[in-house]
Amino acid sequence: MLEQIVFYSLSALVLASALAVVLHRNTVHSSLFLGLSLAGVAGLFAALGADFIFAAQIMVYVSGVAVLVMFVVMLLGRASDLHLRQINERWMAALLVCGVAAVGLFKVARLHSATVATGAARPSTHDIGRLFLGEWLVPFELISLVLLAALLGAVFFTRTENAR
Amino acid sequence: MMTAPLTLSHYMIVAGLLFLIGVFGALTRRNIIGILMSIELMFNAANINLVAFDRFLHPEGVTGQALALFVMTVAAAEIVVGLALLLAIYRGTDTVYAEDFNLLKG
Repeated sequence: MLEQIVFYSLSALVLASALAVVLHRNTVHSSLFLGLSLAGVAGLFAALGADFIFAAQIMVYVSGVAVLVMFVVMLLGRASDLHLRQINERWMAALLVCGVAAVGLFKVARLHSATVATGAARPSTHDIGRLFLGEWLVPFELISLVLLAALLGAVFFTRTENAR
Repeated sequence: MMTAPLTLSHYMIVAGLLFLIGVFGALTRRNIIGILMSIELMFNAANINLVAFDRFLHPEGVTGQALALFVMTVAAAEIVVGLALLLAIYRGTDTVYAEDFNLLKG
């Protein structure tokens, strides 16, 4: 019973704040709701027994990505933005695309309507460490190169001409 | 219905709805920051699916969780480069709205 309460309340939190991210007129509020939605997803990870992913989600998304987005929103925002339309005029076509995709997604999801979890969830940090430094060593090192490239790219794009 | 055991399709439906909200936002937001936030929502929907499949179908391994970590890393790199590009474009065009980014149009 507790499991169901946790799942349904976290899902409601995630979906409601995701809707607020997409529909809210004020971008600052949108970015705050993004943090809330990502924290709810972290809760869903915890409900699934993925302890390391839960911690990584909090550290990378809630305290990294959401805060970074908030910084940029406050750096670029203007007071006049609050009176402008934030949704473009093609929202009906987008709604149609989402409706068609929803039919397909629900058909796929129905295939697993009898799949229940077997056994108790185990702590996964040890196994993930073994996997990354054993079988998946090459992808693990490559992803660190991706991060380095992103770091250099961010510095390169934001560099100004006179600051040498 | 509220007391029925949780199945994989419960998690898939939540992830699917989150993905669709992200798609709707990415297609309709005028603000580039809003589009980037919607893309983050889509990444998270994919991560929920990966972890749920790992828990329900392959509870003996952690492959799905490791893959979710890779997705997380790529998403972090994407948002950093996206926001840096946005700052650079804002400096040149003084706008954050996607329909005004027409410098490359012939």
